[in-house]
Amino acid sequence: MALFKKILIANRGEIAIRITRACRELGIGSVAVFSDADRDSLHVFLADEAYHIGPSPSKESYLNYKKIIEVAKQAGVDAIHPGYGFLSENTVFAKALEEAGITFIGPTVSNIESMGDKLSAKALMKKAGVPTVPGSDGGVETVEQAQAIAEKIGLPVIIKASAGGGGKGMRVVRKMDELESAFRACRSEGQNYFADPTVYIEKFINDPKHIEIQVFGDKHGNHVHLFERECSVQRRHQKIIEECPSPSVPNDVRLRMGDAAVRAAKQINYVGAGTIEFIFDNTTKEFYFMEMNTRLQVEHPITEIVTGFDLVKEQINVAAGRPLSFKQEDIKQKGHAIEARICAEDPITYKPHPGVIRACRHPQGPFMRVDSYAYPGYEVPIFYDPMIAKVITWGDKRDEAIDRMQRALSEFVLTGIKTNIVLHKTILDHPKFRDGSYTTQFIEKNFEVIEPQLFKEVEDPVFLIAAAITAYNDRKSKDVRQLNLTSNWKRVGRKLQLRT
Amino acid sequence: MYFEAELNGKKYKVDVTEQRSTWKVSLQEEGKNWLHYDISKRDFKEAEQYISFLFEGKSYLIDVIGQDTEYTVFTRNSFRTIKVFNDEMLLHESLKKGGNFGADQELKSGMPGKIIEIFAKEGEIVKANKPLLIMEAMKMENEMRATRDVKIKEIKVKQGDSVESGAVLIKFEEP
Repeated sequence: MALFKKILIANRGEIAIRITRACRELGIGSVAVFSDADRDSLHVFLADEAYHIGPSPSKESYLNYKKIIEVAKQAGVDAIHPGYGFLSENTVFAKALEEAGITFIGPTVSNIESMGDKLSAKALMKKAGVPTVPGSDGGVETVEQAQAIAEKIGLPVIIKASAGGGGKGMRVVRKMDELESAFRACRSEGQNYFADPTVYIEKFINDPKHIEIQVFGDKHGNHVHLFERECSVQRRHQKIIEECPSPSVPNDVRLRMGDAAVRAAKQINYVGAGTIEFIFDNTTKEFYFMEMNTRLQVEHPITEIVTGFDLVKEQINVAAGRPLSFKQEDIKQKGHAIEARICAEDPITYKPHPGVIRACRHPQGPFMRVDSYAYPGYEVPIFYDPMIAKVITWGDKRDEAIDRMQRALSEFVLTGIKTNIVLHKTILDHPKFRDGSYTTQFIEKNFEVIEPQLFKEVEDPVFLIAAAITAYNDRKSKDVRQLNLTSNWKRVGRKLQLRT
Repeated sequence: MYFEAELNGKKYKVDVTEQRSTWKVSLQEEGKNWLHYDISKRDFKEAEQYISFLFEGKSYLIDVIGQDTEYTVFTRNSFRTIKVFNDEMLLHESLKKGGNFGADQELKSGMPGKIIEIFAKEGEIVKANKPLLIMEAMKMENEMRATRDVKIKEIKVKQGDSVESGAVLIKFEEP
């Protein structure tokens, strides 16, 4: 079965470049699309062809699937890779491609649909024998029901409003006598904020880690896993450091998690790259299904580095109808990989910091990879995700991978915009990160007063001296300009006076 | 040339002298002694976007972005925002009111974005570290908090407004 002739990449930034690279290595033509704000973005320069798809806001460009399909037809592509985010899990888009006779490089529409809804996904996983967080099967109506469930699954429990989100309508109950008031509070918050009083109860994991398993399936019924990634270092519920393997998962648990993930993929006859996310109890070493991401993920390079397989090429391979190019027994974890997401943001407030990149030099050296779209003179736009680069390092042992990451980050020169590089360096040095005991609350709990730690790297006088010399030169050049404003008559007059 | 500077809430007196082979920079943090630094011009390089010099044996590649009195200095993936006032500016400031430079009576937007929610009301006193508003930029919602106790004098924006970088969002007065 032939691979594709030309692929359109319906995305931007580093992931668009990553896919373009895979296309080029496979001898497949690549088509980039870009919005107004991305005219000068690196993914546009690197692809074979590039088409404008609309104004800067993503709703009018990267999410405008009709326009993207129109461009795909114009460019004569036979497949579209959606990357991550944007249209990657959009069933309307996947269906429209089917109708247009263009291959969607991703899972089937039914795969996306069955995993898109959390409750139905949980039911499917139970059926496949994948552990799910113990709790109520649906809505809980009365205090008595809630008490019975809490007694059965054991404290602590978390009561959540079904329609909740953003931290609203959620209560952790650690003592039985707190349950009634928490139950009532959640119901009333659900009613007030979301017009739905339904609540459900789950076991509360005290020491949670975010562990996910990379799975792959083809159209011939083959399913494999490529082991786990630990993604517990998060700020604002978004991952910033990932590592593979996890320092906390014992080998027998790792194999059980892999088996469970493969069962999950088989259950829905999954096609392509997917990730089964688990919440992992670091105390009991138990794991529970959280959700499935039916797409390639930002952190896929650490799996690539540790297993030696190119996941994007494999996605293309599988989408073209070929069988998986590797079997479960071919997949081994070798060494340790870490990824740090470099974002255009203030490392203290985590606020995005768009602007023009002035100096930019990417780290280099042995056993590392940089996936980036930053270059000097490029203006990081405000319209999209603040991530501008990923640094991935490998080591034979975990400590070596961490030390190598520290070294790489020290080499990274990026000025003009604020970045979180200094935050990464601080995290990598933290004893809880070093010993691998960190959980998803790591940043919240340990970096409340982050400023002094973050700024230990360079002493204040260096900044003051640089600013003072620059201010001196600015003032001097201003004085020179003022002199130039003087009329030539006056200047000649002054010169003549000096001569006499 | 004499300057006054403010960094992380600390005030400094700064004196810069250019000599044939060195920059002599003297710094005095408020209440402390003067410190003198010699930066050799042999090790001082100026490129289009940045400068580089040796400080106590360490080499720094530094990018200084200056606008009016505000200089943002980047080096080694660290940065500082420094307010620098020269003699001319200090004179202007002292003419306006008793040398109280850097007293912020406004909340400004540091980047372009959209106002999602406003918590403060005009006339209200907001305590330090309490949220004032939420602004969206780059797909992130950013909560902007009061840096000190303030009284809200005027709210210049409303929910849903798109604002440019540097736009005044809220004006304060002393509570």
